[in-house]
Amino acid sequence: MEPGYLAARQRQEGQSHDTRTAAASRDAALSRDSGVAKVTALSWRAGAAGVVAAGLLTFALGHHAAATGAPSGHQNNQGSIQIPAQPPQQGAGSGQVTSGAS
Amino acid sequence: LVTTGAIASDTFEVFGTTAVLLVTRSSAIGQARGTANRLLAEVDLACSRFRPDSELSRLNAAGGEPVSISATFAKLLAAALRAARLTGGDVDPTCGRALAGLGYDRDFAELRATGDAPARLMGPVGPVPGWTRVRLDRGGRRVRLEHGAQLDLGATAKAWAADKCADQIADEVDCGVLVSLGGDVAVAGQPPPDGWEIRVTDDHAAPEWAAGQTVTISSGGLATSSTTVRTWTLGGRQVHHIIDPSTGEPARSCWRTVSVAAGTCIDANTASTAAIVRGPAALDWLHDIGLPARLVRHDGTVETTAGWPYNDPGDAA
Repeated sequence: MEPGYLAARQRQEGQSHDTRTAAASRDAALSRDSGVAKVTALSWRAGAAGVVAAGLLTFALGHHAAATGAPSGHQNNQGSIQIPAQPPQQGAGSGQVTSGAS
Repeated sequence: LVTTGAIASDTFEVFGTTAVLLVTRSSAIGQARGTANRLLAEVDLACSRFRPDSELSRLNAAGGEPVSISATFAKLLAAALRAARLTGGDVDPTCGRALAGLGYDRDFAELRATGDAPARLMGPVGPVPGWTRVRLDRGGRRVRLEHGAQLDLGATAKAWAADKCADQIADEVDCGVLVSLGGDVAVAGQPPPDGWEIRVTDDHAAPEWAAGQTVTISSGGLATSSTTVRTWTLGGRQVHHIIDPSTGEPARSCWRTVSVAAGTCIDANTASTAAIVRGPAALDWLHDIGLPARLVRHDGTVETTAGWPYNDPGDAA
């Protein structure tokens, strides 16, 4: 073969190879972009779900805290016997009043 | 009326027992007494077992039919049912028939004056019907008693009234208040600098030299239940008013007296009454809940729970 032909053939093959490589790169890039888009969408959905869940949890806990928080005055906690803010302290003398059965 | 320093006191009779009212601003004692009179009259009309015109008497006589009730009686009944629920039924408001069967069907002073009371019903009535037989529609203010249940709110009404009086008086007169109804003590508002001093003993009417212990509290309530005070004889045997719902009979307790401090007087009284009924198991129960309590055995030895102050042996019951 003539050297010019071989050179042209090699150039043609090289171009063909380049073309295939470029196509593969485009496909890879598209695939990558698609994957990133999917991951991004999933991340947004997960994030949004997290925000909603956190909101619901905050509401629920807040509601629970309001329902079971320390009552003012002598309002009774419906769910349990209410322990004193502090235990009795030792006193002296005969006391101002007497607690005994009647 | 008595005034000591800034603290004024008023002592009067109510519910067949002695009430003591203390306020930390002496000029407020008159208004405080007026508020107490009004609230206590409401409670008496709602739930006295010995007044034929009380709502409780009408309900007990209704033969299981639904009865419309006042807001006050609805609250008292709800408090009694809550006490029953929180104690697993050890403090049960459906012990009215059991008490009447033991002869306690009239004012206690009259019962005691009778001497040896006859059993008016058919003798032991067995387990009480149980608090779940009380159908309370609190919103609709209607109630119905099932299976022949008869109510007695003696275990909770006095303590509920003490809480209510203390709260309302403190709101109105804006000072520290102590209300004691037959030894069921509730405090509210700003207490004295060293707290309220309370002598704890078997009998709320005991003289000041009687064996016991003096403690101070600054909030909440303190109540004492005992098998030694409200007693009478029935067919020659001594009985008392704390009913064990599982038998319908006076509780056979290892404790003669139990005092409890709690966030409210009604919770203190609920726990002290339940402790008498529970007997030895009360120690662990009170400890697990975290309620400071003083429990006195029949021989006078004392047990304490959950931070109740050390009891000087020389001051033992």
